[in-house]
Amino acid sequence: MTYLVLGVVAGLAAVERKGFLQAMLARPVVLGTLAGLALGDPVAGLFVGVPLELLWLGAVNLGASLPVHEALGTAVITGATVIAARALAAAGFTGPAVLPAIAVLSVALGAPMALVGRSAERMAERWNDRLLERAHEALATGSSAGMAQVNLLGLALPFGVGLVLAPAGAAIAGSIVSALLLRAPAALGPLGMGWAVFAGFACASGARALRDLRAPVYFHAALAAGALLAGSAALAGGGG
Amino acid sequence: MTLSRSTLAHCFFRSLFLQAAWNRRGMQNLGFAYAVDPALRALYAGDPERRRAAMERHLGFFNCHPYTAAAILGGALHHEEKVAAGQERPREVEIYKSTLQGPLAAIGDGFFWTALRPFVGALAALGALAIGWPGVVLALTLYNAIHLSLRMTLFRAGYRQGDAVIGDIARLGLPAAAARLRVAAAALCGLCAALLGARSGVVPHSAGILFAVLGAAGGHLALSRGARLLPAAYAAMAAGTATALAASRLHGRF
Repeated sequence: MTYLVLGVVAGLAAVERKGFLQAMLARPVVLGTLAGLALGDPVAGLFVGVPLELLWLGAVNLGASLPVHEALGTAVITGATVIAARALAAAGFTGPAVLPAIAVLSVALGAPMALVGRSAERMAERWNDRLLERAHEALATGSSAGMAQVNLLGLALPFGVGLVLAPAGAAIAGSIVSALLLRAPAALGPLGMGWAVFAGFACASGARALRDLRAPVYFHAALAAGALLAGSAALAGGGG
Repeated sequence: MTLSRSTLAHCFFRSLFLQAAWNRRGMQNLGFAYAVDPALRALYAGDPERRRAAMERHLGFFNCHPYTAAAILGGALHHEEKVAAGQERPREVEIYKSTLQGPLAAIGDGFFWTALRPFVGALAALGALAIGWPGVVLALTLYNAIHLSLRMTLFRAGYRQGDAVIGDIARLGLPAAAARLRVAAAALCGLCAALLGARSGVVPHSAGILFAVLGAAGGHLALSRGARLLPAAYAAMAAGTATALAASRLHGRF
């Protein structure tokens, strides 16, 4: 059931991302939360969705260019995180160090699916070329309404790609992550640090995606201010 | 004949599927023809041959930003009414579409894709870190309030004014707003880095913040020098993990 739910959510996100509406529902910060919620772990979904949003902030569809498929990548990473978290919890792994370690390995294994998704999108464009021919044929036979409806057939392949690839990718990545951590529990702490560095890197990727000469200045100034504030709060709160 | 409100609403709804069958030869042409179909059905109700000819002219190449294309769709309907009434040549519709699609694509890409959406994405990330999922919902609501209202406004303006819609779009001042949103988004990314470090689950929190800040500063430097995104992301993960492993060996704990 987990895999079916994840597949449907990923399929709908793949459709919303380009074919219908484009209301940011397929963006990582939203999709991560929704997928996590659908799989019964919204905390894990939000945990991975936030840095993925910033990592892929520049993934935009400008003209005929194709960005990475951030929705498929997010669905796979969220699914893998939830699946691995369940397996580790069942084995008695709890505590704050578990989720970051799972997340960093899930990102490492799941992120390439965003590239696979881009290839699938190229395939969908070629499929749509055939739909265009079908539309011309329908028009030639006098079926104007039939010609117009051909457009909706273009939603099928992106949905199918999400439906199949997201659960498959999540199942493989999730089982590898849980197997690795069950065999090397001592890696939990160091992997958490890897997650912290990755999260910071993701923010830098977001800032770089903003094509403005002043963006680096604002980014570094806010980074310094945020570090001071968060650092002071951490030290004052006793967790520092 | 003028189009009814329900027909216009139907066309607008269908415009949300503009990119459903994006293809390499005509790009958004199938989506545009799909959106304009209810209007052509109403305008050429008793004349299938003229309807077919009208559909054919909307199967020509079309590519624009999916939001700002609403203005072109509205304007195309404005012109189609005149064509159906015999007040304009069919060629006028094609000229209108081909003239506006490039400039409106540039405006839409520049404002929505490279400014508003990244800004709201960074705002949602910061909101999620500060107050959890309600922060995401608030950001999403803000984005769609702007996106949908602008999309509807542009459609209405295009339909009512035809070619004069350009003046309305220019008055919105989108390029200037985009520049402000981009620098604000960059600042939000900086704040997110520090907060992500604090919420990374690493204990002590100050270590998490330090590692995240180093990742942000180092990552920005690497990406500025042309590093590719995914390999650089792997290098960041590996560097953080290896540093922590080395530290744990030195201090015998973690």
